[in-house]
Formats: sequence, structure tokens, C-alpha cells
Amino acid sequence: MAAAPTTTPIAAGPAAPPRRAPAAGPRTTWRGHLLRLPFYLLSLTMIAPFYWMLITVFKPVTELNRQPPSFVPEHATLSNFYDPGYSPTRVNPGHLQGIFQRFQVDFGFGRFMFNSLVITVAITVGSLLIASLAAYVITKHRVPGRRLIFVLIVASMMVPWQTTLVPNYVIMRNLGWLDTYQGYIIPALAKAFVLFFLVQFLHSIPDELIQAARVDGAGEWRIWWRIVLPLLRPALAAMSIFIVLAEWNNFLWPLIIVQSDEMANIPVALARLNSYFAGAQHQGAIMAGGLLASLPSIAFFLAFQRYFTRGIVLSGLKG
Amino acid sequence: MAIHAAAPRRRWRRYGTSYLMLLPFLGLFAGFLVWPLANSLYLSFTKFDGVNAPEFEGLDNFRHLLFDDDRFRHALGNTFLYVVASIGIGTLLSLGLALAFSGSSWPHRIMRTIFFLPSVTSSIALMLLWKWIFAPGDFGLANTVVTWFGGRAVEWLATPGLTIPILVLMSVWGGMGYGMVLYVAGLNTIPQEYYEAARIDGAGTWQQFRRVTLPLLRPVTTYVVVTGLIGAFQVFEAVYIVFRGTNNIGGVLDSGLMIVPYLYDQGFTHFKLGYASAIAWVLFLIIFALSMVNLRIGRALKEL
Repeated sequence: MAAAPTTTPIAAGPAAPPRRAPAAGPRTTWRGHLLRLPFYLLSLTMIAPFYWMLITVFKPVTELNRQPPSFVPEHATLSNFYDPGYSPTRVNPGHLQGIFQRFQVDFGFGRFMFNSLVITVAITVGSLLIASLAAYVITKHRVPGRRLIFVLIVASMMVPWQTTLVPNYVIMRNLGWLDTYQGYIIPALAKAFVLFFLVQFLHSIPDELIQAARVDGAGEWRIWWRIVLPLLRPALAAMSIFIVLAEWNNFLWPLIIVQSDEMANIPVALARLNSYFAGAQHQGAIMAGGLLASLPSIAFFLAFQRYFTRGIVLSGLKG
Repeated sequence: MAIHAAAPRRRWRRYGTSYLMLLPFLGLFAGFLVWPLANSLYLSFTKFDGVNAPEFEGLDNFRHLLFDDDRFRHALGNTFLYVVASIGIGTLLSLGLALAFSGSSWPHRIMRTIFFLPSVTSSIALMLLWKWIFAPGDFGLANTVVTWFGGRAVEWLATPGLTIPILVLMSVWGGMGYGMVLYVAGLNTIPQEYYEAARIDGAGTWQQFRRVTLPLLRPVTTYVVVTGLIGAFQVFEAVYIVFRGTNNIGGVLDSGLMIVPYLYDQGFTHFKLGYASAIAWVLFLIIFALSMVNLRIGRALKEL
């Protein structure tokens, strides 16, 4: 298959929203800033909780118990992550287990990060692959029944997934998949909204590209792998951000299928931590866990912000 | 006969690859969505404890749910109140934010990022954070601020009257950035010429907003509101993490009980799986009705 382009222009996607004239409108005037004052104040309330989390993480136990609280950690410490002075065998006031010491599992909190990572990567890659295959067939093959299939799948987007919670739990139990990676991953692979989004995107890609490859003798699998997937790259990027964030933060399903500490993902581990420990002296470690749970997804968002906004816009306003 | 038999076989050979490529998606879709959905409908008519075989009981679950179950009625009422308040306030703030920060200059971009931050933060982490902020005594940020202004420390999470307002606050705080992004995208598709024309006709800022911006943003508003409603009906983490007591999921006097937490409570704490399925179908009907409003899907179907 000689002529098949492997680097295809990305321009084939749904038309980007028309770019406005450079730097939309004039600079914000002093009057404009004054009008925006309530929103600037509101933005402080957006920052304040995050700041509160950040300082809590670095406070030692004595400072966590102080009333009223301090606004800058006076004796900043990392012992909420790992407390070198802590000993499980003797009483040592002023020392509490750090987040990495609290669970009786190998690697402590690292194990939950690992679980979350495995689940997230597997579901993201897997669901994009199988949805792109199906989307390719639905848009570019004249196979009988494709319209019915698509209508069914789109209709399923109206079903809140909690409706299937009980039967899926029973299925997992009967398969012996409670507390396993496959119990997390396999039920999450067929994502209707991903298929819907990719179908929308593929409609705007000319059929001639695929016809040309067929004329050149490429098989369908090869066309999917070498032409369709590269063409879908922007759509896949946008979708992967949604999937990554959703799976990294997934809670209710893991809450139901996870039994052992070993198989908990980060949100479930945090929830367990929360129900075991309530007092102020534990908040440092709990917030340390929250920070570790949030940093990867925030970093991921900041790195791929461009795709993210585009994904929201395409899935929200097009269609 | 022979002719008729040959055609499907040739057809199968022709479309075999196509169906094979559809198989992974369709198989998983059928196995973990369609079949469970049908199954949950069946289970909703049964008494099922997860151990013994389901026992068919007809409409008993629904009858009990709708007429005898005060906790469910309470959960439903709470949910409606929460949904209406959080989406109403949230949508207005989203629009306001979008109007204020729709530009491409760096201050606007930074403000957008700040307001969007909760949408990408771990929701469990945020809920734990809120719980810590509303901690009793003087530990928490909320009470610290109250005492600055001469007030007395409030038992935020143990006061039934404050439960729904706090849940609404958390929802609006966490969700307005998402609506804002959609509104900004909508604003950027409005051609500047419309505003120029309106100005030439003598329209002031307010009139431009009323006559140009708002009508042209209508599809975005529909989308923001409908998807917001759908999401809000499914609230779970906020109740489970922030308000759950030691032996009660809904907070003090069930003041924060909602549909999905109640579903979880009945199904996975009390193992009334049949009853939980009935609750799930009530949720389904509510969300289905909302989705029908969402014209987006209807338009998408036309395209194929």
C-alpha cells in the first residue's frame, strides 16, 4: 500500500469555530475591571480552598490541632506524606502516620496510584480502539444494520449508568471479577459517547481517502490502523482527556467492586481513610492524599488544555 | 432456493470484516449495558437479596417506593430542590463569567483556568476538602472566617437546614467553570457584524445583550442546563463523603439524602437489590425525560 498517507492533514475535522479578530476586542479598560470586580472576588473563593488544602498538607500535628488555625504553616513538614518519627510499636505523641504509612499494603499510597494508573490507561486505550473500529464501520462501510446500531447506541446515552449498577455488580460477582483489574476495566470499555463523538468526526472526513486506499489494495484492518486512526488523532486526543479524568476520579463503581485494600483506586482509598479517621490531627494526611490524587489530573489538564477545550466545544455545541 | 441461499453467504463474506470490527464494541455494549439494563428492569419487579434467587413480586417495589417510603419521598424532594437551585445559580454564574472573561488576553485566560480548576480536580479530594473547611469548632476555614466577622462558630454539617445550601454551594463552586467554557465557545461563534449592525441601529449594551447575545446563545443554554440537570440528578460523592453519618447515608435527619445515595444505601448496605433496581428505574425515567428535551441527539440522528 504505497500511496496511503500516514501523516494526513488534520484539517479534515469538523470545522473549528471561526477565529475572531486577533485578541477579541480592545483591552479591558479600568471601567471593565471595575465591572468585573465581583468576579475577581469570586475567583478568590476559588483559590482559597486549594490554598487551604496546600497549607494543611505541610502542617505538623500540633499545628493542625490549633484553634484558630494558622494561615502559613509555621513549621512546614513532610511528615503527612512520610513521618520518619512515627513508630507503630510505641506511643509517640506529636507523630502520626504519613499517607504512605497508613495502609497495610505494599508501597502504601503508591499502590493506589499504580492501580489508578493501570485502570485509567487500559480503559482509555481500549475504549478508544474499539470505539474507533466501530465508528469506522458505521460511517464508511455500507453494512446492513448500521443505522439501527447507531440509533441504539445513541439512545443508550440517555440511560444513567447507575441503572445498570445492580446487574453489573451481580455479573462481576458471578464471573469472580470483584476485586480484580478486569472488573474495573472490561465493563467500562464500550463508551457510547466516545463512539457518538468519533462518528460525528468521521462523517466530515472524505470517503475518497478510504476509497483510494482500498483501490491500492489495503485491507480493512490496515485502513483502520494506518489511515482512520491517524485521521482521528485530534478527536482521540479530545476524547482521551475526558476518559482519563473520568476514570482517574471514578468512585461509585470501584466502591462497589473493590473489597481488599490492595485493589482500591485512589478515590476509594481516600474515602476509606476518611471513614477510619475523623479528627483534626488526621487532616494533614488526608489532604496529602487528596493532593496526590489531584495533582496528576490537574497537570494533565494544564498540559493538554487546548485539546480539552476543543473536546468540550465539539461534544457540546456540535452534533 | 439455491439462489436465495447463495446471496446471504456472499453477503456474509462481503461484510464479515465489517461485523468483526463492530464486534468488540457491540459485544461489550450488549454484555455490560443492554443486558444489565433489561436485567435491572426485571429485578425491579422482584425481591432479591443477592444470595437467594430473585422472587417475582410484580409492582410491589414501585408501589412501596412511591406510596409508603418516606425516606425515598424525602430523597426525591431533596434532589429536586438541590437540582433546581444548583443549576439555576450555576447557569447564571457561568454566563456571567463567560461574558466577563471571553477574551484571549492572558488575564482572561488565567481567570478561565482558575474557575475551571475544580472540574479537573479529584472530586473525592474536593469533598474531603469541603468537609475539612466546614469542620466544627474553630479548626475549619468556614468558622475561622465567621469568627473574623464577630459571629459564633456554626455546626455546619450537623445543622439539617444548612445541608442543601452547602450541597448547592459545592455544586455551583465546582461546576460553573465548565458551563463558562461552553458559553465562551458559544460567544465566540457570534459574528461581530451582528453587534456592529445593532450598534448602528442605536442599540445600547443591554439591548445588544438582550436582542443579540441571549437569543444566539440559546442552544448553548439548553445544553448547559440539560446536561447540568442530568449530572445533578446523579449526585453521589458529595453526600457520601461530606454528610454520611456512621449508620446513615443521608446526614442528620436524612437532610442530604438524594436518589443515588439512597439507591446505594438500599442496594449495597441493606442488600435489597430488587428495591434498588426500582429506584434505579425511577432515576432512569427522570433522566430519560430530560434527555428527550436535549435536541442534540435528534439532530445527530438525522445526519446518518
